[in-house]
Amino acid sequence: MGRSVGFAIYGVIGLICIGLPFFAESDVVVAVMPPGLSGSTLLHIGILIFLFGYLATSWNVLGGFCGQLSLGHAAFFAIGAYTSSLLYIHFGLTPWVGMLAGAAVAAVVGYGLGYVSFKYGLKGPFFALVTIAFAEILRLLMLYWDFTGGPLGLLIPLTEDSWSDMQFMAKEPYYYMAFGLMIFGILATAKIGSSRFGYYLRAIRESEEAAEALGIHSMRNKMHAAAISAAMTALGGTFYAQYTQYIVPDDVVKIALSIEIILFAVIGGSGLVMGPVVGAFILVPIGEMTRVIFSTAATGVSFVALVNSDIPAVEKFAKYLDYLASGGGGGLALLLYGAILIFVCLVMPRGVLPALKSLQSWGKKS
Amino acid sequence: MLSVKNITSGYGDVQVLNEISFEVNPGSIMTIIGSNGAGKTTTIRTLAGLNKTWSGSISFEGRDIHMLKPHERVASGIVMVPEGRKLFPSLTVEENLQLGAFHPEAQKRMEETTEEVLELFPRVRERLGQVAGTLSGGEQQMVAISRGLMARPKLLMLDEPSLGLAPIIVQQIFELIAEVCRRGTTVLLVEQNVQKSLSVSDYAVVMENGVLTLSGTGAELAGNDEVKKAYLGL
Repeated sequence: MGRSVGFAIYGVIGLICIGLPFFAESDVVVAVMPPGLSGSTLLHIGILIFLFGYLATSWNVLGGFCGQLSLGHAAFFAIGAYTSSLLYIHFGLTPWVGMLAGAAVAAVVGYGLGYVSFKYGLKGPFFALVTIAFAEILRLLMLYWDFTGGPLGLLIPLTEDSWSDMQFMAKEPYYYMAFGLMIFGILATAKIGSSRFGYYLRAIRESEEAAEALGIHSMRNKMHAAAISAAMTALGGTFYAQYTQYIVPDDVVKIALSIEIILFAVIGGSGLVMGPVVGAFILVPIGEMTRVIFSTAATGVSFVALVNSDIPAVEKFAKYLDYLASGGGGGLALLLYGAILIFVCLVMPRGVLPALKSLQSWGKKS
Repeated sequence: MLSVKNITSGYGDVQVLNEISFEVNPGSIMTIIGSNGAGKTTTIRTLAGLNKTWSGSISFEGRDIHMLKPHERVASGIVMVPEGRKLFPSLTVEENLQLGAFHPEAQKRMEETTEEVLELFPRVRERLGQVAGTLSGGEQQMVAISRGLMARPKLLMLDEPSLGLAPIIVQQIFELIAEVCRRGTTVLLVEQNVQKSLSVSDYAVVMENGVLTLSGTGAELAGNDEVKKAYLGL
């Protein structure tokens, strides 16, 4: 029973997602949504949800199933973005093929990174440190190298709307591509999760020693997981490059991106197929909406002037709030976002999806 | 069957085993007894390949195996059931068993093996669909041994199977171990429960501070004055 309800909910949300472009600019949506949050903004948020849902799902193969905490997945994202973009700029190779090339490069790098880390038995925080270092080195190299455009990054030459160049003026094609990518990620991880390979990964996560004592080649399986996870992440990188048509190292290899990817997976429920997607569906809209809602006002008062002003305390407090609210996209929005994250971590330490599941089985018992 | 010659091993810079030599005969139960920190677990881990063999040689059925990786040793027929069970707690009992059949030969015969193992452990059959972490200690130990048997080992190595179990369950576990041996699997046991383990063993050695000090049949050692004094408290 619980299973079919779950499928039904996912199905309805999926249908809404498919239909969104058709009613994103309808009067009803414009009336319901806060100002600035309809039409193409809504589609943009949708694209971000799907892309981050997909990236977190990709991370889940290595970090969730296999329990190897990678804090450097932005590196694979960047490898995907840069490989396809460079091939397109220099050789006119269509991003569809460039995407696969990027995935192949990322897989090779994933194998390499896995080999050196796992060969020397790096686990948990030590593996995480290696992945951070790797991503940071890659970022610095990309800033330094000429062929990656250095700090200026790469500008993808504009063409007309074209499927072969994966370029469009409108948001809709990107919207459906991102949606397709996310569905691909879900299907791929579902397939992995129910395969023998998926069970080996979980066995390694739960007790690597017992897995080895049973003859599971933990190093080989961990390397496979790293490569698959890296290749999947790289596909998302190519999509991002084509969507924004401009990539710079500080955007695509930043640590904040690596952390965001993990955040969605962990908040949703890492190690579960749908966990990362659920996380993205919850957190991306919250992040975007708080940003849009709280960045509209501008008081034009400096903080120091506010502190020194001679007005009653109550009024001063209201002005403080105004000040925070007008923090130019940051301020209160990030504060609120952080508070929500802390709340979720405290109330649902294993993620939203496991919490919902235990709530359901608790409801059945009583 | 298994012949261990002068092996040394340890962790990092710390040497634990000092030139250990012994033999395990096919179809028998051999036990290593000794107190905490004597090096029993290190011995078994070295045999499984989880610890490096620093020097000396290990041969299994006439073949040198001390250079092999853990998974290659499993494929050659040596399986270890680790101390403290080490089940995969969030997976079901059935999934735990299936993970025991890793190498291709074991995978091919998985259904047949599962049936044989469940016949031996009816309690495990009752719990197949349950999440392993929710079982009692004794049941977990049974699942751990079953999981080890899924690889169709020629030599099954058990590290402290009685650890943390109630006396009545310990009795059952030892009976099951004896039954595993009767059905054709050679057993190497590492135990602190000297009395119980000696009663089922064909042969036993005593380990102290990384060296073997005594050896003999189970009955001989159980009657040995030193063993009585040091381990049985008689």
